Amino acid sequence: MDLVRDVLDKQLIDREGGPMGRADGLVMHYGEKSQPRITHIEMGGATLSARLHPVFERVWRRFARMWGPGRVEPVRIPWSRVKTIGRDIKLDVAAAESGALAWELWIARHIIERIPGSGRHERHRGD
Amino acid sequence: MRLKRFLQITLGIVTSVGGFLEIGSITTAVQAGAVFGYQLLWAILLGTICLIFLVEMSGRLSAVSKHTIVDATRDRFGFPFFAIILVGMVLVSFLVLVAEIGGIALSLQILTGIGFPWWAIPVSVGVWLLIWKGTFSLIENGVCILGLVTISFVVAAIKLHPDWSSVATGFLTTVPHANKTRYGFIAVSILGASISPYLMYFYSSGAIEEKWDESYLPINRVIATIGMSFGGVLSMCVLVVAALALRPRGLDGGKFEQGALMMTTALPKWGFYLFAASMLIACLGAALEISLAIAYFFAQGFGWNWSENHEPAKDARFCFVYTIIILLAAVPLLLAFDPIRITIVSMALTSAALPLAIIPFLFLMNDPQYLGKHRNGWIANTVVAVIILMSFVLAVISIPLEIAGG
Amino acid sequence: MEINVELLLGIKVRDVDGKNVGRIEELRVERDEKSCLVEAYLIGASALIERLSAWTLVRPITRFLNSRDLYSVYRVPWRDMDLSDPRHPRLRIAKRDLRHAK
Repeated sequence: MDLVRDVLDKQLIDREGGPMGRADGLVMHYGEKSQPRITHIEMGGATLSARLHPVFERVWRRFARMWGPGRVEPVRIPWSRVKTIGRDIKLDVAAAESGALAWELWIARHIIERIPGSGRHERHRGD
Repeated sequence: MRLKRFLQITLGIVTSVGGFLEIGSITTAVQAGAVFGYQLLWAILLGTICLIFLVEMSGRLSAVSKHTIVDATRDRFGFPFFAIILVGMVLVSFLVLVAEIGGIALSLQILTGIGFPWWAIPVSVGVWLLIWKGTFSLIENGVCILGLVTISFVVAAIKLHPDWSSVATGFLTTVPHANKTRYGFIAVSILGASISPYLMYFYSSGAIEEKWDESYLPINRVIATIGMSFGGVLSMCVLVVAALALRPRGLDGGKFEQGALMMTTALPKWGFYLFAASMLIACLGAALEISLAIAYFFAQGFGWNWSENHEPAKDARFCFVYTIIILLAAVPLLLAFDPIRITIVSMALTSAALPLAIIPFLFLMNDPQYLGKHRNGWIANTVVAVIILMSFVLAVISIPLEIAGG
Repeated sequence: MEINVELLLGIKVRDVDGKNVGRIEELRVERDEKSCLVEAYLIGASALIERLSAWTLVRPITRFLNSRDLYSVYRVPWRDMDLSDPRHPRLRIAKRDLRHAK
């Protein structure tokens, strides 16, 4: 399997089949003598902005400290949670618990649900 | 079952009405007819043919791979490349959105006499509300049915009794003796107005919204052909009407009101209202399409939940994007920037940005992982290669031409 | 040590003698139930492509060319890669000893 071709940037699907973002980054542990291992899939604005340029990452971190759910560090999903890798990557996690939907929930709560007709009641009915 | 599939033609018509027949293509067709008579019909034909191919491919990619163009672009090309395309496409599409909302506002202006800046906010809110509360099918079918009012352009063209053999010669590419720069500029504008990337992104997402699969490939071809031809024929009729109604008067089609004038010439009693209604619906379709296309771009590129059919609370980021975009689009109009000027600039920029959209698309359409045995054949690849070549030429000459000829 | 793989892409690699080899294009991994082990690094071999790949807009397209075998890549087993300075990866062997990937 090739990481860049088959894993990086692919859509992540959670346990229930819903989308939970994309594999924005991959964390590799390595040492002098030991074989390098991929330990986590990483997601988030910090990871993405770092891929463009360190300047973007700094800007993102400053922005994320002021606005939003207050989460600046990227979300890391342990590799052991990867179930299958095909056109998408299926994970054995629940999106809502993983932190992957922090921004989605924050925008839903603070902006979208304040507008009439957003179906807010529909959402809470399922909780 | 077959009938139900055939009704999917509405996706094609809606894509066409919103994508093909909108303020850019209508104003360029009016100008083309007013200044050069039938001579530029070939440009509309060329635009139509290119679109038929591009739209068919967009549908094929989505139906077979169950991924949209944007999905596949990020998957295959990685985030940094995708980010560049995102910025380019969103900026250009946003400008077109401003022009379309301006088009709706101008239509309301000629109907009510109230200046277009006053309409900027009500129109934006209206567009937003339709997306907020509507479903994809509702928008698709609604715009399609209302869009049939644009058939009044066909009626007008026939009523003016053009010399059809002269019309036919317009399909041969000829270069006029005088006014070459202007001719080139309008030709480029017609192509830039026709081949809008947001059309492809919208159609591709629509195919996923409608849950197409491989069995839809034949109907996809029909829809792409009929849908885009619908828009193409309508644009041609606009050109013919302008040629017969405005040219003899020495008008150059540069003002919005001249469109109403030409329709009144053809249909004295209803022409004015039909023009205003047609512009309104066409621009509304385009505004809805572009807003959704931009939101799809972000949502699919970043892996968010997205669907026009969901309740907004379920795909908050997707809704947030189209809400912000539509609100921002009202600003230039509030400041009374002329929508026609914005239209002209947006078409030049669309031409300039075309290579950014089409080149990766060519690679995707040949990718076995996405399309398997439905990859492009040599004909389709040749057409896309020609479109890419054309888009580079457009990109290079559109800006200087605009300065010289606009 | 820990590093983000996506930040390694496109970074120039030199061999043990300091000679320029190419840029890191891909990581080949072996996956099992629990973990994912890196087997080899694929380094772009063509000098021209390598120079073009420095451009963000071009690199993903050269990825396509790679998968079509239109230009070759070197396959560097993990043991032969020294990542102690991740911004300047060095090979532990010489360029002439490199194998081409299939």
